Amino acid sequence: MLILRHLYLLVMLAFAGNQLVLASEPVAVPTAIADVLQQHCADCHSGDSPEAEIALDRLGELKLDDQLTVLNAALEQLHFGLMPPADAASPSLEARDRLQQWLTEQLDQRNANQLRDKLRKPEYGNHVDHDALFSGEHVNRPGFTYDRRWLISEYIFDAKFNRILNHNVNVNIDGKRQAVIGSNKRRVNLTNPFLLPTHSGVRYYANETLNGGHLLTMLTNAKEAGTYMLYLAGRDQRYLPAVTKILALETQHEKTLAARERFLNQHVETVLENQFADEHAKLLPVFVRAEVPAPIPNDGSVKKAPFHAANPGNKELELIFRSMQRHQADGLSDQLLIENCEREWFYHGHNPRTIQARITFLNNYMEEFRGQIKQHRFAEKYKPVQYLPLSESEMQIVQATVQKHRARGDRYDAVIKKCLEQWRQEFEQARIDAGPPEHEVVSELVQQLFEKILERPPTEGEQEKHIALATDYLRGLGNQQGIKKLIQTLILNTDFVYRNEFGQGEADQYGRRMLSPRDASYALAYALTDSSPDAELQKAVKEGRLSSREDYEREVRRMLARRDQFYIVDESVHRPNDLSSFTQMPIRELRFVREYFGYQRLLPIFKDNKRFGASYDAAKLRLVSETDRLVDHILEQDQNVFHELLTTDKFYVFHSGDNEVMQASADRIRRIYEHFKDTDWSEFEVDDLGKHKDFIAAETMRGIDVNRLFKDRRYNPLNSFKTQLTSFTLRLDKGQAAAAPYNSFPAHGMANAASRYGGRFQSPEVARFYNIDMSNWDYQPIQPAAVESRKGLLTSPAWLIAHAKNTETDPIQRGKWIREKLLAGSIPDVPITVDAVIPEDPHKTLRERMEAKTGDQYCWKCHQKMNPLGLPFESFDDFGRYRTEESLEYPENLVEKVKDKGAPHEDLRDIYKTLPVVSTGYLSGTGDKTLDGEVDNAFELIDRIAQSDRVRQSMIRYAFRYFMGRNETLSDSKTLLDAQRAYLESGGSFDELIVSLLTSDSFIYRKPTSDTL
Amino acid sequence: MSLHRRQLLQAAGIGLGGVSLAQALAPSLATATSQVAASLGPRRFVFIRKSNGVRPNEVALPTFSDAQKKADKDRLPLDIELANHELPEWLQQLDPHKQQLCILQGLSCKMSENGHWSYSSVLGAYKSGRNSLSGIKRATIDFELAKLFPSPFGHVELSLTGNYSSFRTGIVSGYSAPAPHQRNYCYADPQTAYNELFKSVTNPEAVDSDNQMLAFLQGEENFKAKVLAGYEKQKLSNHVQSIERIQARNKQLTGLAEVIKRHLPELDAVHANGGQNASTPEKQQAMTDILVAALATGLTNVVTYTIDELSTPIKGLPGNESDHISIHELGHNGGYSGVPADEIRETIRVGHIQQVSTIVDKLKSIPEGKGTMFDNTVVMYFPENGEGHHSHGTEAPFVILAGDNCRLDMHGRYIRLPYHGTEGHKTIGNWYTTLLNAYGNPIEHYGDLDLEMSRKKLDQSGAIKQFMPV
Repeated sequence: MLILRHLYLLVMLAFAGNQLVLASEPVAVPTAIADVLQQHCADCHSGDSPEAEIALDRLGELKLDDQLTVLNAALEQLHFGLMPPADAASPSLEARDRLQQWLTEQLDQRNANQLRDKLRKPEYGNHVDHDALFSGEHVNRPGFTYDRRWLISEYIFDAKFNRILNHNVNVNIDGKRQAVIGSNKRRVNLTNPFLLPTHSGVRYYANETLNGGHLLTMLTNAKEAGTYMLYLAGRDQRYLPAVTKILALETQHEKTLAARERFLNQHVETVLENQFADEHAKLLPVFVRAEVPAPIPNDGSVKKAPFHAANPGNKELELIFRSMQRHQADGLSDQLLIENCEREWFYHGHNPRTIQARITFLNNYMEEFRGQIKQHRFAEKYKPVQYLPLSESEMQIVQATVQKHRARGDRYDAVIKKCLEQWRQEFEQARIDAGPPEHEVVSELVQQLFEKILERPPTEGEQEKHIALATDYLRGLGNQQGIKKLIQTLILNTDFVYRNEFGQGEADQYGRRMLSPRDASYALAYALTDSSPDAELQKAVKEGRLSSREDYEREVRRMLARRDQFYIVDESVHRPNDLSSFTQMPIRELRFVREYFGYQRLLPIFKDNKRFGASYDAAKLRLVSETDRLVDHILEQDQNVFHELLTTDKFYVFHSGDNEVMQASADRIRRIYEHFKDTDWSEFEVDDLGKHKDFIAAETMRGIDVNRLFKDRRYNPLNSFKTQLTSFTLRLDKGQAAAAPYNSFPAHGMANAASRYGGRFQSPEVARFYNIDMSNWDYQPIQPAAVESRKGLLTSPAWLIAHAKNTETDPIQRGKWIREKLLAGSIPDVPITVDAVIPEDPHKTLRERMEAKTGDQYCWKCHQKMNPLGLPFESFDDFGRYRTEESLEYPENLVEKVKDKGAPHEDLRDIYKTLPVVSTGYLSGTGDKTLDGEVDNAFELIDRIAQSDRVRQSMIRYAFRYFMGRNETLSDSKTLLDAQRAYLESGGSFDELIVSLLTSDSFIYRKPTSDTL
Repeated sequence: MSLHRRQLLQAAGIGLGGVSLAQALAPSLATATSQVAASLGPRRFVFIRKSNGVRPNEVALPTFSDAQKKADKDRLPLDIELANHELPEWLQQLDPHKQQLCILQGLSCKMSENGHWSYSSVLGAYKSGRNSLSGIKRATIDFELAKLFPSPFGHVELSLTGNYSSFRTGIVSGYSAPAPHQRNYCYADPQTAYNELFKSVTNPEAVDSDNQMLAFLQGEENFKAKVLAGYEKQKLSNHVQSIERIQARNKQLTGLAEVIKRHLPELDAVHANGGQNASTPEKQQAMTDILVAALATGLTNVVTYTIDELSTPIKGLPGNESDHISIHELGHNGGYSGVPADEIRETIRVGHIQQVSTIVDKLKSIPEGKGTMFDNTVVMYFPENGEGHHSHGTEAPFVILAGDNCRLDMHGRYIRLPYHGTEGHKTIGNWYTTLLNAYGNPIEHYGDLDLEMSRKKLDQSGAIKQFMPV
């Protein structure tokens, strides 16, 4: 028995050693443990070909690192109940506990316990026994969270910098200018290194630690932010008053320099003429004309770039215009005018290449430029600058310096440059003479920067150290650079990127302390938003009103009720195509549902337009935005929220959320249709339009300007008219309830419904995801409205696409999501040895191919937990379209090649052979015998799921993780049960659930651990 | 059952634990993760992105036989020795380097953004949803290569872009991506690039003050960490370690001072303050000098250079010296000063190739090992968006120059791969996979798959085998 020999040798070693184990000591196995291993593990894990390449009999021969790997693997297998396998004899509970405890000790002693790290991760959240959590058995365990530092999220990063850099964004929403939170399109170029993982479920956990990548990115960010903060301080003295004080002399010098420079740039010629009188002309350099190509012949023989592509930019245009203005005279030819301008530019010392470009431009585009001058009213905008001397003392300085530096042949810019250089040196010397800033003002600087960046005053120790540092910086780098460096230093302080959540005050009998009021204000603010505490929360901290459960409840309820603030839900949806993506509820409330379902994960999934039968890219953005709107709607109703999310048959489809606007737009199309339907409109001539002039003007038909009818003989909008009428007829001539308000053809200007941002309402192709035939669309102006063959978010195209592949469905992903997110189950990682590709077969459905691949015993062990839950959703393809037949999209199955381009209502999909969809499945794991069992299709599955207590509890568990930033433990049992009670007693209010969680012991109590001595 | 994934991971020497997102951001702090890459010694890659497409017929060889001409026009596969042919006129400055040149036709880039712009997507082989952050799906190929060959700067990005009338200046957002949802920054004018890259020599005071700041932070965070233990301590000690690594990098940079001084380019005064008066060729030349110096000094092994973009102002172009040219207008066939658009487009390309040629010449003049620095360098010049001004991405011609130690078998040839949507067709994803596999990252496939190839069930994954080292 090889294993015995080795194991018992190790045992002897163990007893020979000291009781205290050093982290670097090899692992030794005591007799009792060796017995368990021998009895339950050795059969498979020993010898020449041990299972999974883990040979316990050679444990002693391994290096320490490898030993620890084996111990970690063993502990994990035991903890998750994966070993010994089901078909082998299990050790007694006591033996199992003993082994697990020993493994834990060995790994902890060597600081190598990977299981502990794993269990902190979101993907291991469900490993805590569900029944135990909700049984009530553990309700007396005191709930708490450990004291912790929590790395900021990508959203908090944006909010922090937006606050510091005064980045306030306004968006036109429903015709009003509204401040919105959540923009990341700052003037300052910052890179966000705190990105959250992209999986569905809870993305933001208090597990991450700062690393080199963060720091490297933050170094650049801190520099950029420092520069911009100085700029802001220069614009507004209230921004950082100490900076204003320290830079007072610099600012004064800069202003003086800027004033002198501006004065000379504008009036140097006058100054020189006045000062040098007759000598002036003699001192000028010899004017040499620039060489430019011959003007482009104006006979049409050469294609000339249009004005907009040839003009040198607005600043240049202004400069050229001003010169022309100065030299313009009656009867002066263009050539002489250009020459005079050129002379001026030459004397001023403008760059020769720039002069060349200006002359070429004027030679070729004088006529167009004059047109622009008139059209854009240059003369009004750029009035001639009148000569206004500086103050007497300033003029004396300017004149004296000019006198000193002007040399024969100097162009004006050379004179100005020499003067400025002298003044700069003088000012610099003056600042050196003035000495470094006083200690008091440096102290103020430190104080203010702490408040601005870290949102708190410095401690005494910090104040002292930072004053010393600031003094060094200012002395070594000068005032501006020194302040910037201090800003950088504070931005790189870990307090900037970690949220602190520590208990304060006296501990209770369980060693728990309440969150400090300041930390509590941040914990509450960040639970519901990405921003720092609002004014009310700050006030509550100041007034000592954030120190009891009732205080928390008051603030949570207040924040949940706020609707005076707009949040951008998703920047990538918000910007393009005028799609609105905003909410007025605290953003993290909506974001929970969004991320839990993970439907926004469809955004990076790109698909073949041909398979969609229309343009997919634009439609998918609308799909996400409308799913967000539906979630917003359900949360606003706040009744039976989980049930509604799982079962609603009402959706937004090509709808802005503004029923009034959508109804008006649909009505307008109907009026136009009704007005013309009995006329012979398809044969209309322009004269016929005239007969309907008043009607068309009242309804503002796209592309038809009634004011031009008959005034401009060439004006013929018949094409626009007929295109619209054709399209409107298509939308209403089959007795449709209402017309979908999309544009019949692309053109500028508005005619149909506007987006909430006031832009054009686009991407009607979104209807195709819902199997709506656009040529016979029963449009619903009042939404959300019932849609056929849909039941809840799991049948929303967004969720279905997000849980599909680029070219086919993914029942495994869909099933895994249901197992983990709704049934609180776990699926082990795909074993490294598995080739997880489903083989192609043009004659089989995906279900058939998948069953062939995953049906063997080894695969089925895990796949039985996913496939039967995901397969009912085979009734929806990878675009989320409902189907009863599956297209076998292989070239050999092509039945009809359909054209690639067509009108919006046409379906351009190629047609393939099909096979019937089999949508049966099996629900297991609800813990309710009346619900578990076979299901015919997704709708039946959803109906049963929606009735399950376990599903509701699972959703509550995820909400817990979302708001606590960690996995639940048995000591959170009471918190979860209270949350469930609050939810049920309120008729399914998500707000009540949040209130319960954020006032629970798990949230408000903190406990120090050995981690925080 | 297969052990494929495990074997691949083992071959790469990459641990199973994975690398966190933020760690992936920092090739400058990384150590080589691949044994293959580590065994190769320094290897360099230069990606030169151009706008307005490269039309496939522009790189076709003028001395094609009739049969070759027809095959090329019909987009049929070709593999021709360049030695027996003349290069197209605009590429003729590369004549001396013909043996190291490959004109690679037939790659498609439909899985990246096409039309006018591709942003980061052409180097990442994904659709970026215009230029959205959330659309950045993965680290771009240049960053992946930079991870294999770490250097003090890790990766350097340069760009010459603007707003049609003036050039962008300073440090601005770039076109590469160090990680998913991350946009790189880039140096937008030669002076800024010069100041930032060679700071340890040109502005040692700034480096000193950086070090002072890092030392202070190190002290502060160590002080805070003292009272902690376990996981919470780790949260701070990781940060302290990062600070130490950046200090070490700064020290490394200071140590390179002598080498930097040796290769420090001379920058003309016209580039001061962003260099708005510099002509486009002057800017390009200065950027080339900086690019070569960044490689020669060992500050980086990977440079991505956007030599132009549709909104880059073109000023001082030979033949149109005094015109203010919009590349976008050229794409719509607008001429300037009587010179037709096509001619100006060619002049712009000639200017680009002059820079490519200069890069190769300069690297060939710097000894390294038994040869020159160019032996270990691959330079790629390619369109950011595909085959034209409004591209569909069906073709993306690459002009590739690679030194003698290049691990790819493609030198001295004109290669046309099977056309998009046909058997054997290769995408930029295959091309980038080839680069990664050849240089030590055994990834099965880099980039998104082409949807038309998928629809037609055509194999499209993996490296281009014919280029791979035997």
